[in-house]
Amino acid sequence: MRTARLSHATFLVTLLVMADTASAHEQQGVPGGLASGFLHPLSGLDHLAAMVAVGLWGAQLGAPAIWILPITFPLVMAVGGVLGVLGIPLPLPEVVIALSALVLGGAVASRLRLPFVFAALVVGVFAIFHGHAHGAELPKSANALAYGVGFVVATGLLHLCGIAIGTLSRTPAGGRLIQALGASIAVLGCYFLLHNLGVWS
Amino acid sequence: MRRLLHRGAFAAASLLLVAQCAEAHIVSSRLGDFYAGALHPLTDLQDGVLWTALGLLAGSLGAIHGRWLVLVAPVGLFLGFTVGLSSGSAWIGPLSTSGMMVLLGLLLALGMRVNVAVLCAIALALCLMLGVVNAAGIGDGTDTVLFGVGVALSGYVFITLVTALTFTFRKLDGQPTGTWRAIALRACGSWIAAIGLMMGGFALAS
Repeated sequence: MRTARLSHATFLVTLLVMADTASAHEQQGVPGGLASGFLHPLSGLDHLAAMVAVGLWGAQLGAPAIWILPITFPLVMAVGGVLGVLGIPLPLPEVVIALSALVLGGAVASRLRLPFVFAALVVGVFAIFHGHAHGAELPKSANALAYGVGFVVATGLLHLCGIAIGTLSRTPAGGRLIQALGASIAVLGCYFLLHNLGVWS
Repeated sequence: MRRLLHRGAFAAASLLLVAQCAEAHIVSSRLGDFYAGALHPLTDLQDGVLWTALGLLAGSLGAIHGRWLVLVAPVGLFLGFTVGLSSGSAWIGPLSTSGMMVLLGLLLALGMRVNVAVLCAIALALCLMLGVVNAAGIGDGTDTVLFGVGVALSGYVFITLVTALTFTFRKLDGQPTGTWRAIALRACGSWIAAIGLMMGGFALAS
């Protein structure tokens, strides 16, 4: 038994001695581009909340919003991304992004049922601002295509999360839960809005 | 018995520690240039995204469309490769490839019924373009025929597999439109078009 423990200890020590440097935050080339693009929508709470709210609202509105949304949103957001990459400025981007969390969260909380065209218009305008922020913040060293792949996939998956959570609204209790989630997103958006306007720092 | 097992485990772990890289397919051996050609497109995301887009589109359109790609894709890639060897690849910029990404993505996202001739024309143009781009990766002293055949076969396998998987995925629901499988494919098209738009923006910015 003692010999076995000694063998294990020797083995572990040998492994530790042979350990190499870990490159955990490599931000260059394809891996760097994929990682930074994928993490960008997840690292900003305002972006993340708004993306999930889009999915939740789509699920509440039902067809055709629930399936047109994941198809059109990435495209509209990419248009905003191109504007950001090209350095074309948009007015008050951070304020509008915070406003998007407030409005979309409020829509989910109040189960707002707008005509589909208006709902698409609201979501489309916000999508351009979100895309602009992602495009403008591309790390210079990262592979541009990989950044685009990571960013689009992360955004799509966030919508999918929102839609999956939104399916809870089929039951009365689930519906209340979704509304509460919408209210939380609206409060978060309100905080970011006040923060960006300099009212609350 | 237990002691023997411990010793065996220790010996196995020690052997693993001193393990070296396996060299089963040495690139400098007889068929090394073929493997270099086959792996070259897989070292970049651009070829992978475009081949996936083409496979998804063909698979979503049906078996007849997919069958034509089996012929058109490898021939286009090899022809493009030979053109690239003689003319260089500088004339194919990132805007051309991103434009192709947007086109394929939009066709898929909009669920358009493209006829066989149009799909073959798009596939041929895409494969010619990617063949030319891959010709730029050839090194000095490389056997050009083996490298070109490697590129063409790699594309053939990749596109055919994606087409077949998409066709099977699409066929499982037995409904032509409106099911979650069709929507998932269209969402993939939208993602691909969005990636193409972003890539075009990056190309314009740089």
